[in-house]
Amino acid sequence: MWQWFFRLGSPKWFYEMSGKWLPWLLVLMTVLMSVGILWALLFVPQDYQQGDTIRIMYVHVPVASISLACFPLMAVAGVITLVWKMKLADMVAKCAAPIGAWFTAVALATGAIWGQPIWGTWWAWDARLTSMLIQFFLLIGVIALRSAIESPDAAAKACALLAIVGAINVPIIKYSVEWWNTLHQPSSDFSMDENSAFGPEIWVPLVIMIFAVYIFFVISLILSTRNEILQRERRSQWVVDIVAKEQV
Amino acid sequence: MSDTANTVNISQPQGRAPLAQVSTFSAFKATLKRDLLIALKRRNDLLNPLMFFLIVVSLFPLGVSSDPQELTRIAAGAVWVSALLASMLSLDNLFRADYEDGSLEQLLLSPQPLYFMVLAKNISHWLISGLPVVLLSPLLAYMLYLPADAYWTLVLTLLLGTPVLSLFGAIGVALTVGLGSRGLILAVIVLPLTVPVLIIGAKAVVDASLGVPLGMHYALLGALLALSLSLAPLASAAALKISVN
Amino acid sequence: MFEQIQFNSVAEFLQMGKYTFHVWSVYGLFSIFIFVNLFLPRVQRRQFIREQRNRALRDAQLAKNTAVEQERESASEESS
Repeated sequence: MWQWFFRLGSPKWFYEMSGKWLPWLLVLMTVLMSVGILWALLFVPQDYQQGDTIRIMYVHVPVASISLACFPLMAVAGVITLVWKMKLADMVAKCAAPIGAWFTAVALATGAIWGQPIWGTWWAWDARLTSMLIQFFLLIGVIALRSAIESPDAAAKACALLAIVGAINVPIIKYSVEWWNTLHQPSSDFSMDENSAFGPEIWVPLVIMIFAVYIFFVISLILSTRNEILQRERRSQWVVDIVAKEQV
Repeated sequence: MSDTANTVNISQPQGRAPLAQVSTFSAFKATLKRDLLIALKRRNDLLNPLMFFLIVVSLFPLGVSSDPQELTRIAAGAVWVSALLASMLSLDNLFRADYEDGSLEQLLLSPQPLYFMVLAKNISHWLISGLPVVLLSPLLAYMLYLPADAYWTLVLTLLLGTPVLSLFGAIGVALTVGLGSRGLILAVIVLPLTVPVLIIGAKAVVDASLGVPLGMHYALLGALLALSLSLAPLASAAALKISVN
Repeated sequence: MFEQIQFNSVAEFLQMGKYTFHVWSVYGLFSIFIFVNLFLPRVQRRQFIREQRNRALRDAQLAKNTAVEQERESASEESS
């Protein structure tokens, strides 16, 4: 039963398999994203309150929800790194941090743009935006720690530990920020996900976009992990063969 | 400094009992005592966090306004943020001297559970650098015109909160102890982790002056303290093992 | 579910009600984000392969040079 698990840990195997998956994932992403974006831009009815800004939701909500998946992913990879010393898990964790920081930054930016017409200001200390901002800081911390430690082995373990500590902290931060915010100022009459009140013509394209952005996340994670594998295994024969064969 | 370290070093039980038979509790006590003794010999380490705290708090009136009403509004947050920064600044000497003179390695090799050793170091560090800050805070709160009802809350929340800051900070220190330039990276790693403590602590002080019941605030701070007391030394111990190689 | 397209003309679509800037800047940002994240790894990969090839070439050149030198040395030793 554990065999597949350890085979997955072999960078070479992952490199070969991900090479086979990538075209399919790209096709799937393109189809889903075209459908989702066209649907969101053309067919979704205007909101009676927000007008056309409702279309921003179809970018903001998927990006934000996937950026939340980043810390759990890094923590799981961290546990695997610390317990089974699997090299691949560390490579994935290393690549996930900057991608997660990008997703968080885009979620913050789109949230600010969406918030402007509703709150009348680009930045509000809204509970979601604030906890997103702090998650961004945490990710920057992991990236900074990685670049500060020279030995790759020690960096892998240290970042794994920090990711686990961070993942335990993220829900605590989220709840404390929400608690602070709800008592601090009256909650705005607009909330960003009142899914319950939405009909299918609103949420079906949203689900499609969430899947599309999820696949996009997986693709970019695979792409940068493959580069990381090549970099770290550059002395082994199979990488030398790839380098010799590839057209540049 | 190093001779004081040797006189009470737990790795030299002075012919009483073989090292492995030293009970965890007496090793805990010995580590605590040693760290306190060393810290008491180095007055600067005692004074610097306090001076820093004092200076940062007095920057707020200079930067914001000298108007008592405005200062009253920011007093709780200003004192809490300054205490947070002061405890962050003093973190650096938590494992550092021990790392440099090699006694940290001795600690890692000792047969006693590392959790209690790290906890002892944390406690002594808090007694040296956290507690004075807590004790000084009412005076600084007075300088910022904190409402009179909030003094006890300020001291109590700091008393519950600063150990959590120390415990979280220790993880960051342990991760970066072997690095050349640690100052900024330590802050970048640790500050986001301390957000919940700051939020709850500062809010409790504000709510105290508004007359809001505070049971929830203390319960949350207590929960954070219990959680970090039980888990943070484990993480610090693991981090020390990674850093010291 | 597809009731109808919500806009009567292309101009209306591009205008997005009152929120031209908000809607289009979000979608613009999103497309840049996707583009960068898919193409940056590609650039890095090419760079890596180029570097490795140059290194291999350099190593081969170095090996050749030392071999030539060694030959010359042994030849001069024989002649002396």
